[in-house]
Amino acid sequence: MSSDRVAAVELVNVRKFFDGGQVKALDGVDLVVQHGEYVAVTGPSGCGKSTMLHLIAALDMPTSGTLRVDGVDLGQIRSAATYRRERVGLVFQLHNLLPQLTAVQNVEIAMFGTARSRAERHREAMQLLSEVDLEGRENRPPTKLSGGERQRVAIARALANQPSLLLADEPTGNLDERSVALVTTLFDRLRAERSELTMIVVTHDNRLAGSADRLVRMRAGRVDLGADPKSSSSLERQ
Amino acid sequence: MVSFVALIVHNVGVKKVRLVLTTLAVAIGVLAVVALGVVTHSLENSALAVLQTGKADFTVAQRGVSDIINSSIEASQLPRVAQAPGVRQAVGVLIGTTKLDANNPQFIEIGIDPANLKQFGVTVVQGQAFAADASNELMLGWRAAENLGAHVGDGVKLDSTTYRVVGIFSTGQAFGDAGAMLPLRAFQTYQRQPNQYTLLFVQLAPGADLARVRAAIERDNPQLVTIRAVSDFGRADRSFSLIQAADRGSTILAIVIGAIVVMSAMSMSFVERLREFGVLSAIGWPRSRVLLMIFGEALAVGLLGAALGSLLSYLAVLVIQNLPSLTGILEPEYTSAVFGRGLYTAAAMTILGALYPALRAAAIAPLEALRHE
Repeated sequence: MSSDRVAAVELVNVRKFFDGGQVKALDGVDLVVQHGEYVAVTGPSGCGKSTMLHLIAALDMPTSGTLRVDGVDLGQIRSAATYRRERVGLVFQLHNLLPQLTAVQNVEIAMFGTARSRAERHREAMQLLSEVDLEGRENRPPTKLSGGERQRVAIARALANQPSLLLADEPTGNLDERSVALVTTLFDRLRAERSELTMIVVTHDNRLAGSADRLVRMRAGRVDLGADPKSSSSLERQ
Repeated sequence: MVSFVALIVHNVGVKKVRLVLTTLAVAIGVLAVVALGVVTHSLENSALAVLQTGKADFTVAQRGVSDIINSSIEASQLPRVAQAPGVRQAVGVLIGTTKLDANNPQFIEIGIDPANLKQFGVTVVQGQAFAADASNELMLGWRAAENLGAHVGDGVKLDSTTYRVVGIFSTGQAFGDAGAMLPLRAFQTYQRQPNQYTLLFVQLAPGADLARVRAAIERDNPQLVTIRAVSDFGRADRSFSLIQAADRGSTILAIVIGAIVVMSAMSMSFVERLREFGVLSAIGWPRSRVLLMIFGEALAVGLLGAALGSLLSYLAVLVIQNLPSLTGILEPEYTSAVFGRGLYTAAAMTILGALYPALRAAAIAPLEALRHE
């Protein structure tokens, strides 16, 4: 990480209010995430973690404040969809795979609108599924996959367009112990193998948060503190 | 490997019962449009055949009758038309139909003066023409003679009268060749229409201006109408105008009803797939691609409906054609234009039906869609 580069993600006094200001989901968040950094965001339910992630993904707009990704103000981008396709990989708590498609097709459709040919899309989707240890399960529909497998398909889909930013919202929230371990290992591997990939993971899970470079704790719509994720006290489930 | 088109086809097949019902609704719309189109086109051809039976530049009929066969022109009007500037000659004929048997429920009879046969474009191919004052002689068109197995010298019974076949004729028109010709005077008497014609067939003098001659005849004889092409036919034949109107109306109705059914099915699908649209937006699909996908799915249903509807219309016309009352009258012609209209009807109903759900799907905020259970 070089200090003269712009930050991967930068939030300056970001606010997000709902119901005409009655609900203050984010109330002046300042946060800088450097390129290649793996940040875990924790905090009690309703503290604004997911809202912050949605804003970074341009799924929603802040009420006020500035949000920059790679130096680009998200308030100024022409197409949020293009931004997401070109820069962002999204993983949700619920895998959000399309049930009518197979695992590989779910990954392929994320590459629609890119310059890749159909054969290239297929080859890369197969490769990604192999990277998330789903070889042999590529042609199964989500209903024929376990929860952990579905989430790994969702991660493969998030990586389909080689994003610079991976955003995951409670990716282990619905998984059993074994699957949590598998997904955590996968994030660790991504951290090790893709040094340029910036990862922001909202989680309640201590193991997943523990593998991050930095822990960001939120409370009542604000960033509470940045902690060393390896410190057990900072990983208490809140 | 999935392409965008394959994805559309795949999505269409997911809800099979809904696909079948929606396709059926589109198919019924297409069935109505294509079947009525085929029938109307066939009737147009029959109408054209009546006009073309006489070798004329145009035909004159009574204005505004319910059926052109019911046209009635006073004999005194024939010389007025014949003497109009630019007219070389005019031939008056009385046309009627009779039920010969179950296979010939509308057998065509043409009363004509034998002196006018040549001008009328009639060639006697066997035997001879009937005498002008004969009361029990007729000529059969060669198709009619073949159908009835009749020859010159045989007797043919029309209604309660037996006529002797004195000749076989050809007009070069299937409609005329499938009927009989009788002496005009005897036929007028038999039909209780003395001094009446059904149609006048007019030939122009060399160099005469067709439009001017027609305009002059209509101006001087306001109760008459001149007919040159099928498009003029409705001016004389109100039934035909009604059939054409019904044909157009059925297309509009089919599109409206089909669009409502498609909209209803796609709106249901929209609610069920709300989360899917959110996911697609979240992974970077632009609104235009979501729109394209939904319209593509609608079009695919439309194509299926058009194919099924065309097949059903073929079967329906087959049934209509063989109805005892229509045997021998309806000669269906399946033109590409009729099927083209079926296709654009299907496309119109599905695109219109998909419009609202597609716009809603494209406009929905991804987060709102993702929260949908």
